[in-house]
Parts: sequence; C-alpha cells; structure tokens
Amino acid sequence: MDQGHTSLHYVQIDEKRCTGCVLCMKACPTKAIRVPDLKVARIVGNCIDCGECIRVCPQGAIKAITTGSDPSTLSRYTIISASPVLYAQFGEQVMPNEVLLALRRSFKYVYDQAYIHELYNVAVGLEIRENRDKEGAVRPMISPICPVVNRLIGYRFPSLLKNIVPIVTPREIAARELKRRLYCESVFDTSEFGVYHITPCSAKMVSIKDPLFLRSSYLDGAIGINEVFELIKRNLRDLQEDMMIHRSSGVGIGWGVSGGEIAGMEEGNYLAVSGLQETIRYLEKIEMGLFEDIEYFEFRACLEGCIGGPLTVADRYQAKRTVAKFVRMFGQEKRLKYAQAQKAYQEGWFHSERRKAPADTKDQNLSLSEAIERQEKIEAVFRSLPGKECGLCGSPDCRTFAEDVVDGLVGLDHCVALNLKRRG
Amino acid sequence: MAHLTKNYPIKARDYLRAGEVSMQVQGLMKNIGFAPEMIRRVSICAYEAEMNVVMHGGDGQMTVEINTDEIILEVKDGGPGIEDISLALQEGYSTASEEAREMGFGAGMGLPNIQKNSDSLEIVSEKGKGTEVKIGFRA
Repeated sequence: MDQGHTSLHYVQIDEKRCTGCVLCMKACPTKAIRVPDLKVARIVGNCIDCGECIRVCPQGAIKAITTGSDPSTLSRYTIISASPVLYAQFGEQVMPNEVLLALRRSFKYVYDQAYIHELYNVAVGLEIRENRDKEGAVRPMISPICPVVNRLIGYRFPSLLKNIVPIVTPREIAARELKRRLYCESVFDTSEFGVYHITPCSAKMVSIKDPLFLRSSYLDGAIGINEVFELIKRNLRDLQEDMMIHRSSGVGIGWGVSGGEIAGMEEGNYLAVSGLQETIRYLEKIEMGLFEDIEYFEFRACLEGCIGGPLTVADRYQAKRTVAKFVRMFGQEKRLKYAQAQKAYQEGWFHSERRKAPADTKDQNLSLSEAIERQEKIEAVFRSLPGKECGLCGSPDCRTFAEDVVDGLVGLDHCVALNLKRRG
Repeated sequence: MAHLTKNYPIKARDYLRAGEVSMQVQGLMKNIGFAPEMIRRVSICAYEAEMNVVMHGGDGQMTVEINTDEIILEVKDGGPGIEDISLALQEGYSTASEEAREMGFGAGMGLPNIQKNSDSLEIVSEKGKGTEVKIGFRA
C-alpha cells in the first residue's frame, strides 16, 4: 500500500437513507465527517474505521464494508478463523465447539483461533522481558491487537508508533500457519482456498488491506459476526456432528473482554483500557511522558473490549458474562507447551516483517510559517464564534468549523448562532 | 514573520483538571503540524510546568509563543517561590505536599525533566512572590 492512503476506509454512508442529522459527525473521534448544508453526511478526513458512526446512526444508513458471507464472493474452499468473540454470541448454553461445528457445516475448514492467542501471550511476555533491562527501551509498550488503536496512533499520535509491539497478531499468525499447513499437505490447489476471519469489528478490512507489521496480510477477507449469526443459529438447530475443533483454554476465549489479553500474561505492570475516549486520553498522557512505569498497555477502541464491537450481535454485557463463564469452565491454564512457544519466538515466528512508517498527518502541504499563520487565523475566527457547539454549520464543533472556514471549505455565514446573534 | 501567542490560565490545586492546559498546547502543536518528536518534548515540559503550578503555586498562567524558529513556554505563578533553584533542579528533590504525593505527583522529577527535554530553561523566583519559568525549544 502506498503511504498516501487517507481515503482508505471501510465505512460507507448510504446517501439515500441519510437524513443529514449530525449524530455521526458529532460521534466521530477523528472529526472525519461533515454534513454540508445538513443534506448528507460525508467522510472527508482521516477515518480510522472505529465504527462509532455505525452505532449512533438512527437510520442504519452507515455500514461497514466487509468481504461478506456470500459464497460467490469467497474462494472455492473457505477456511474460517473466528475471533473468540463469536463464541460469546449465542448465550451461555452454546459451547464454543458447537459454534465451530455449526460453522463447519457451511465452510470447508474451521479453525479455533483462540489457541493462537495463548501462543501470542507467551511471545509478548518474552518481548516485555527483553525490553525490561534494555537501556533506552521504549516505554510503555502498546498492544498491536486493535486495528482502530493502531490507526488512531498513526494519525493522531505518530510519535507513539514505535511503542506498538512488533508482534504479528493472532489472526494473522493463524492464517499464515493454516496456509502453510494446507500448502504442505497440498490438500487443495492453493489458488482455490482462502482464509477468512470472522470479526466483531469494522476495522479488520483495513488491517487486511494494509497490515501494520506485514508486507501483506495472510487473510483473504473478513466476515462480520452479524453476517454469519443467522447461519450459525440455523446450523446449531440440528447439530449431530461429534468432533473436537475447540482446543483453547479460557485464556484465549477471555481475550474478547477488555483485560483478557493481559490476564494471559505472566506477572508484570500492565494496564487494560477500553473505549475510544478513554484510549485517546491515555495516549495523550503517554505522549506527555506519563506512564513510563507501565510496561504494557492493552488498548481496545470498543467499550468493554472486542465483545463491544460494532459488528457483534449479542449485547456486550451479556456477552461479557458468557465469556466469564467459559473462562471459568475451560480454565486459566494454558494448553500449549511453553518451551515450544519460546522456541518459536526465538526463531522469529511472531516477529514482524516490516514496521510501517508514520502516516503523514498533515493534510495540507504548508510550510511551518504558513501553518502558524493558518493557526493564527483559526484562533481569530474561533474567538469570534458564539461557541454553541450545535453542529448546524455542518462541521463537528466550533473549532473544526473555524478550521474549515480558514481552509475555505465553508463560509462563516454558515454559523447559525452567529447569524442569530447579529440579528439581535 | 509568522507568530502565534496563546494564554492559558492554570488553577492551583485543581487536580481534576490538571493536565488540561498541556493537552491543549499539545493539540495546538499538532494542528500546526510540528514534528512528533518536537510535540513530545514540548508536551512533556508543558505538563511538568503545569503540574508544578497546580501542586505548589498560587494560580498562574501558561503562555505559548510559537515562532518559525522557536517555541517558548512561559509559566508564571503567584505561589510560594523556589528557595534554592539548584536544589530544585536535582532529580528526586521534592517539596510537594502530602496531598500531591498521595495522588502520585511530586516525585521530584518535574524541573529535571523539563531541563532534559528543552533547549533552554530560565527560572526566576522570589520567595513568597512566585515563580517564572521560561522554557525554550529550537525548531
């Protein structure tokens, strides 16, 4: 992928359904949405695919673009690697293995990705241990798991890109190993099979098109949990197969909930933060040099973790309860052999192939002197505004409106509050 | 020459809003598009200076002056002043109150951290009258 990819995003607004209200614009954490003349919402800036707009739209006019579950868009032989969040979508009575078996009825091969999470925990633990005594080591380290957080850092906190641990995510490791194995066994013609990730989140497509630590993704696509939910429910009804696909302990399953990732690691000074607003606050503070005593941050853009993802079906708090039950049931004891995982780590099994350069955050190509002048003008316009934060101008807040005015995107006469004030 | 000045008031002992001013300074610099490393250095210093006012000072203010070749943070407060500036610049030396320490502040790294992350540091302080800190960064 080239570096000038600010328009690469997988959230789409249906212009026919959009009523031109300002809810999505107000909810957008990167201020990437405008509603010109209150007609139709448009994505104009750095969309990080967090899905906040999808959640707040009362018309259901905003959708995440995924590969979808339509067989015609998938490879002939589909291999499914599901996020453990999927296991928590069908209530406490449906076991992970049943979910996997139900999937297997519709897809060629199904893999329990939660197992890889255990391996990943070992790898990150070793990485942290190596970092612990290193002179001038980067602190705190940041989890690379959440693709929204990665993009947020790329756009708004590029100085923290170096803090993201360069370990390949479990979904990618799973896909890579599945492909390797199938290639060795030459079960199918390689051009005919594809590995698809079942995901709770709208941002996975981006991480597949433009992964942070890989030259290219091993995954061939992403399917939303909401897109296979009905299918699985149907298949669950008369499930007769008896076969064990599920092999992970509670450690991997626990990942669906905020704090689950660090719960699987050995003792250390870690912190789990979830929710976009909280994540932004913490990243701001980390950039100010705070939290250097924390070794590792688990950030999740969605509140309560991935179970709160915009493509999930079950209520996040009920899903949280289900995850807790599975964690108790399958135990906190990892099922992998530590020495084996350690050996894989030393052989570079988990390590990145590249480290992405920071995204260019500057929208305009201004010289520093021009940028300061622009900022001066913005401050002047901002001071002249009544500051009602209504959004009727079509910009998300008064400060952004001031920027848009200075950049010539909208006229000052679009400020309704200012017009009312002038009229007296 | 392009030039921008902004003033931010800082309230003493307002731990709830502490850090707000430095976040705004950070946001301002990002908006202009300074290099990440520069933003990091300035925000660390702004934060430490702000916290010094919150912890020790009477009310005060931070002035940010942005020029093409340098950035200056000027922080003034009407607090108790610094008795021995060279002592205050030593790592770990702290006169923070019990209240501040309980909240995790006052580790005695404030001024040393500013010195480490800036290009110039001037401190003028008179006991009982307050403190003026001027921090410079070359762009």
